[in-house]
Amino acid sequence: MELDDFRSSVDRWLELNAELLSPDHSGFGSLDEQMVQLSKTRRLAYDAGWMRYGWPERVGGLGGSPLHRAYLGEALASRDLIDPGLYSLVEVLAPTMIDYARPELAAAMVPRLLRGDETWCQGFSEPDTGSNLAALTCRAEATDDGWRVTGQKVWTSLAQYADRCVLLTRTGTTESRHRGITALFVDMTTPGISVRPLETMHGVEEFSEVFFDDVRVPFDRTLGEVDHGWSVAMDLLPYERSTALWYRGAFLYRRLEQLLNDAAVGVLAADDVGEVFEDLYALRARSRMTLYRLDAGEQLGPETSVDKVLLASTEQALFDLVPNALPHDLLCGDDEVSEGWRAQFLYSRAATIYGGSSEIQRNIIAKRLLDLGDDR
Amino acid sequence: MDLEELALFEQSVRRAAATGAGDDLDRALFELGWADALADDPRSAISVVFETQGELNATSSAIEDVIMRELRLEDALGRALVLPSLTLGDPPGVIERGRVTVRGIATRALLRCDTVAVPAIAGHVNVVALIEPAALERRPVKGIDPASGLYEVSAHSVGTGEGMPFNSVDWEAALAKGRLAISHELVGVQRQMLRLARDHATGRIQFGRPISAFQAVRHRLSESLVAVESAHAALGAAWDHPSQFTASVAKAIAGRNSKTVVRHCQQVLAGVGFTASHPFHRYLRRSLVLDGLLGSSRVLSRQIGEELLRTRRLPGALPL
Repeated sequence: MELDDFRSSVDRWLELNAELLSPDHSGFGSLDEQMVQLSKTRRLAYDAGWMRYGWPERVGGLGGSPLHRAYLGEALASRDLIDPGLYSLVEVLAPTMIDYARPELAAAMVPRLLRGDETWCQGFSEPDTGSNLAALTCRAEATDDGWRVTGQKVWTSLAQYADRCVLLTRTGTTESRHRGITALFVDMTTPGISVRPLETMHGVEEFSEVFFDDVRVPFDRTLGEVDHGWSVAMDLLPYERSTALWYRGAFLYRRLEQLLNDAAVGVLAADDVGEVFEDLYALRARSRMTLYRLDAGEQLGPETSVDKVLLASTEQALFDLVPNALPHDLLCGDDEVSEGWRAQFLYSRAATIYGGSSEIQRNIIAKRLLDLGDDR
Repeated sequence: MDLEELALFEQSVRRAAATGAGDDLDRALFELGWADALADDPRSAISVVFETQGELNATSSAIEDVIMRELRLEDALGRALVLPSLTLGDPPGVIERGRVTVRGIATRALLRCDTVAVPAIAGHVNVVALIEPAALERRPVKGIDPASGLYEVSAHSVGTGEGMPFNSVDWEAALAKGRLAISHELVGVQRQMLRLARDHATGRIQFGRPISAFQAVRHRLSESLVAVESAHAALGAAWDHPSQFTASVAKAIAGRNSKTVVRHCQQVLAGVGFTASHPFHRYLRRSLVLDGLLGSSRVLSRQIGEELLRTRRLPGALPL
């Protein structure tokens, strides 16, 4: 389907099904409520076909381009039907399965993810390896009847809801760094896995510590080749910085509009509003260029670090307006609207931290785009 | 223009801008087919000419050509245009009782023209008044960028060309196109500042290694690149979805991001970049004048913000 037809068909469908799609909860909602809403939206959009566009037919998709996915996510985010962060996880998990899982495994599993029947998580970061991912130590030993995994992950989003986990494990020596990592697809119900949610400063148990104690994983759940898990991790970056970033841009656009509506007359300085709008425009312009490059089959690389830095600075600049625009709500309000603004304001503080901190992005830009050589 | 033609065009513009400025560059642009390129493929022609001009710190009257074309004055050879005073975007003239009062900026085209076109407000209508060059008082602008080649011009209640009716014109549309052109020039200026700072950082050895090995330096250069690329992206989107609004946004971003690039690159260039013999200061100066030309980022951001606050609505988001 042509993008323009897709766009108008999705819009029409969203309009016709507005009542069905609208969240059962009011306001910002708890994480439980947001997860219910996410599954519901996915199921309805999958059954209507829209969620299947932009994915290959061999995993239940209907073909098409990433632009189809980008538009659907934008349409859902700009109507506040989904939280773009939660929604985007699929965007990085599904391609990993499509590119690296056995075809039968991918065909069996990916539709469950797209339809919202299952939630998956991504076990990458560890207590001692945040930005320095290649130093991870969660160990997978090959035994006669499969892998045995022991170690710990942290900052694992939605682990307490997850049915499966795409897990990076150490299969070589620690010194082998990125050459001794293997990716596994793990059922979260396997004995030996325990999940301890962490409460963020905005009061949401969005991510968890996950402990693996001699967890058995069959060999046929290996993603890609043994000791080649690093490429699995690297190959999902283009998705995190293209479609997922586009959804977030749409979400921010909606937030600025809401802020203009919620703020009392005279509290917002025109210059500040103008500048945030301009930043948002530039972010979307940049993100759009990236999407079109992805659509044209280009290999996305270090230049997407520019997109991530722009997203982080724009998101924070936008929410920096909130203390001026809605001081009472932010500081003293205990109603639903205030809670929503407060949670989002606090969450925006992490924009320069998650998904590769802004410092890491600047390192990448310096080395790979400006060709400044090594930093030592 | 196809890719080959574009590359050729770019080459000749670069050669012309590297060797000449002002009158020479105008003549060279004329000879290499700038007017035709502007008519056939304005986006490519404008981006090439203005980015190159910015990069090489060159000056020309090309901005007048861009605006005059939009005002449908393109056939008028030997004509110069008065631009708005710095930092504003209002027409430089006011018509009262058939006579025009002018306060604005002009380029060197003023010195060789037969007629001067003055975009002006007549009541509530935007028009163009044609006057004699001699009717304008002019002062070469030294100011912060003595090489800008600009003149401050003014005239008080002078008569206009005989038999020339005031044709109403779409000044805002012409201004928008001019803003895109100046934004391209700013992007060119930014890229050159970054290039100067980058080359300095990789060549300058301190503590036994190039200063580009220090994270504080690397991050400043990275931030500069982010600023350039964001201005470039916004400009591209403004061409894809042209309107007065998107042109204002693109110009505001280009002006604002120039300040970011100036700040970081100057700090990286340190003492060397502070000397008169290093070219950096010419770009710093030019970026300030270009930010002011046809509406500064400050003025534009405020206008954009005021409009959003007034309507409490955002214009339709940039579509995929």
